[in-house]
Amino acid sequence: MKRSYLGVIILCLILAMNIVFTQLIVHQYYHENYQNVLIYMGINIILFPIAILVYKKEKNKGGS
Amino acid sequence: MTNKNGKIPEKDDNYTNNINRNNDRSLDRRGFMKTLAGAAGVFAVASLPWGTLAAKELMGLADKEYPHKKIVDIKDIAVGESVEFHFPSDHDSAVLIRLEENKYVAYQNACTHLRCPVYWVKEQKEMVCPCHHGKFDVNTGAPTAGPPRRPLPEIVVHQEDEAIFAVRVKRYEA
Ligand code: FES
Repeated sequence: MKRSYLGVIILCLILAMNIVFTQLIVHQYYHENYQNVLIYMGINIILFPIAILVYKKEKNKGGS
Repeated sequence: MTNKNGKIPEKDDNYTNNINRNNDRSLDRRGFMKTLAGAAGVFAVASLPWGTLAAKELMGLADKEYPHKKIVDIKDIAVGESVEFHFPSDHDSAVLIRLEENKYVAYQNACTHLRCPVYWVKEQKEMVCPCHHGKFDVNTGAPTAGPPRRPLPEIVVHQEDEAIFAVRVKRYEA
């Protein structure tokens, strides 16, 4: 059976985005752009359910 | 490797032949994705406190005014000298520098790299952080060398009755 890497790739991208936005949060916080902090926090939080969804969809696809 | 009754079939009941690896790989992939999804959760939770702090700052507290605080008497600080003080709270160390007869600058002196105290080095006319040799411009607080990337927060000072007072902390113009 063909292996499906799509889920793995998407999840890796999500993780990369998580890292980037977390870094941005910290920087923007110290630059006192508090609106931006809230925006990035929102993105970071929304990424979590997306990751769960991707995982649920992909976990049973292609194996071995 | 158990059958319906939870028993190990006779042919597999030994120490060398009882390992079933058929699903190892698909489990690997699945486990990996599980870890990634979990990491996303950790990041989501980790960004919450920053958001709350930011929201707090947004509500009201913006451009805070603290009670003016006397730093030092003018006669006690010569041109080119510096004094340390604490502003706005007792836990925020800061430094006041008298650059010229009538020119004073003050910064919160926790290094913007890893918060070591920054000192005024008179001979070099620079503010230096001893930890990783970060340097700051004394006129603006901007980092000029070393690891720090953000300027030191400037404190607005004001002169009154032969003494210097701290007024407020300037916001970054980033
Ligand atoms: S803490 Fe100041 S340079 Fe690293």
